[in-house]
Amino acid sequence: MEKLSINSKIGIILFLLPIIILFTAFFIYPIGFLLVTSFYKWDGLSAPTLVGIKNYLTLFNDPVFRLSIKNNVGWLLAGGFIQVPLAITVAIFLARKPKGWEFLRTVYYFPNVISVVAISIMWMAIYNSGYGALNGLLKLVGLANLQRNWLGDLHLTYPAVVLYGVFYIGYFMIIILAEISSIPKQYYEVACIDGASRLQQEFYITLPLIRNSICTCMIIAMVYGLRQFEQTYIMTNGGPANKTMVMVLYLFKKMHSFRYGLASASGIILLIMGVFVIVGVRKLFKVEKYQM
Amino acid sequence: MNEMAYSRVRNNRINLYKSKTFKNAIMWIVLGFFLFYTIAPLVWLVISSLKTNGELMGAPLALPKTLQFQNYKNAFEVSGLGRLFLNSIIVSITATILNVIVSSMASYSIARYDFKGKELIFTLISAGIMVPVSALMVPVFILIKNLGLYDTKLALILTYSAMGLPLSIFIIRGFMNTIPKELEEAGVIDGCNFYQIFYKIILPLSRAGIVTAITFQFLYCWNEFIYAMLLTSSQTNRTVQVGIRFFSNQFTTDYTSMFAAITISIIPAIAGYVVFQKQIISGLTSGAVKG
Repeated sequence: MEKLSINSKIGIILFLLPIIILFTAFFIYPIGFLLVTSFYKWDGLSAPTLVGIKNYLTLFNDPVFRLSIKNNVGWLLAGGFIQVPLAITVAIFLARKPKGWEFLRTVYYFPNVISVVAISIMWMAIYNSGYGALNGLLKLVGLANLQRNWLGDLHLTYPAVVLYGVFYIGYFMIIILAEISSIPKQYYEVACIDGASRLQQEFYITLPLIRNSICTCMIIAMVYGLRQFEQTYIMTNGGPANKTMVMVLYLFKKMHSFRYGLASASGIILLIMGVFVIVGVRKLFKVEKYQM
Repeated sequence: MNEMAYSRVRNNRINLYKSKTFKNAIMWIVLGFFLFYTIAPLVWLVISSLKTNGELMGAPLALPKTLQFQNYKNAFEVSGLGRLFLNSIIVSITATILNVIVSSMASYSIARYDFKGKELIFTLISAGIMVPVSALMVPVFILIKNLGLYDTKLALILTYSAMGLPLSIFIIRGFMNTIPKELEEAGVIDGCNFYQIFYKIILPLSRAGIVTAITFQFLYCWNEFIYAMLLTSSQTNRTVQVGIRFFSNQFTTDYTSMFAAITISIIPAIAGYVVFQKQIISGLTSGAVKG
């Protein structure tokens, strides 16, 4: 380590001060706050009382909270095991640079720059039983008997709310496509000479070489499945009969009924699940190096 | 013998040709499906925003007889969309500037100098990328209340600047890492101090990274909903995202005006994306986001 002048030392401190303040205020303090208040009963006004792990017990005894964990897990599995594989498939196709691939790459990313709120309201309209495009489309192709009240049905609403986003693959596709494009062409040429089919090439060359970005994408997709809130809040508000309740919405509702201790405890459970996802996916892909 | 070999090769070629067309067909079906899936809902939204409510109810997929630009006027008048737009612009621009200044300064220190605690700071900040920030609603709400900032634009500006820091640092630091040490040393010989090296040498050379960070941060601020809803309550401070959420209540019967409002809210994001596409794609691909 080379010796820094006193001037540079002061400079470094000054330059790091703003980020230390902001990061502490909006990341470290909140996480510490959640951890502490999750052991208290607190309505936000009167003095908090220490209740130990009672909040956590209350949560795990609440069937609505258990259902919201289940729903989040379903959501993250859909993200990791449907959305990401679809993105890989599309990326492999686009990596062959067919006509118009750049245009397709641009368009596939559109939903990622539009706010989740706008997308959710749009899909709420698409699913609407009266004027919705989905029922309209079903009628148009002669499948009018499949028309449903997509957001009011006890069994259909959860898949309806989860699945539409799974087919928006642009974000992951771009990350994976870049990784595929960086694979040296010679690998494929050699494989071609050895008589490997295209499918074999993708399986034995492409997939192993893009392992790291698949791992990253799965982590992002799964953490997204954990933290998601807007879709259910806007489209169903957790209904019908809590069938689409998710953890952040649960937290939000507890917060609004001034049960801050319970809200904090569910926040901590969410953060712990996030850590499990990251560690778990890394294990799955045997990625040791710290990424992201 | 020769003839047989020849015909085998020829047959293989024909099979190859057939199977190639077949594979291409699969490829185009897949690509076409995703194109339709991405575009069709948006097109439907825009077309519906130009219909009367009667037309929408009668035939959800039909085209309008006459284009109802009236809906767009309604969207502005009923919901005060102009005000919401202005708020979003003020919040997004200020939060982006603050975020990028803070993260450039920090990235410069982290990327170009060695000091005690550097690893710790960087590890903590990068871990921040993966924190589901929506879990932090309670403490952030209380923090903002205690600072006396509830229902102000400053509350959103501070929150967005802070929550975007991990990603911005990751992108900008990545670019600053690639600047050769010699340029900096030349600056030192010319008598530049810590600050002059920053704004005369490092900052101009990291422009591409900074633009990428600006693009991501701006989109994040423009589209953010949870904290906008949580930390503001009055029309004077609400952003577009919270606004369009409440349109769905205001326009309980006037769906087509609601569609118009959503269309308006989407346009800046799409326009920004089309202009800054290169930065976004390079941000996602040049190792910035994927590590």
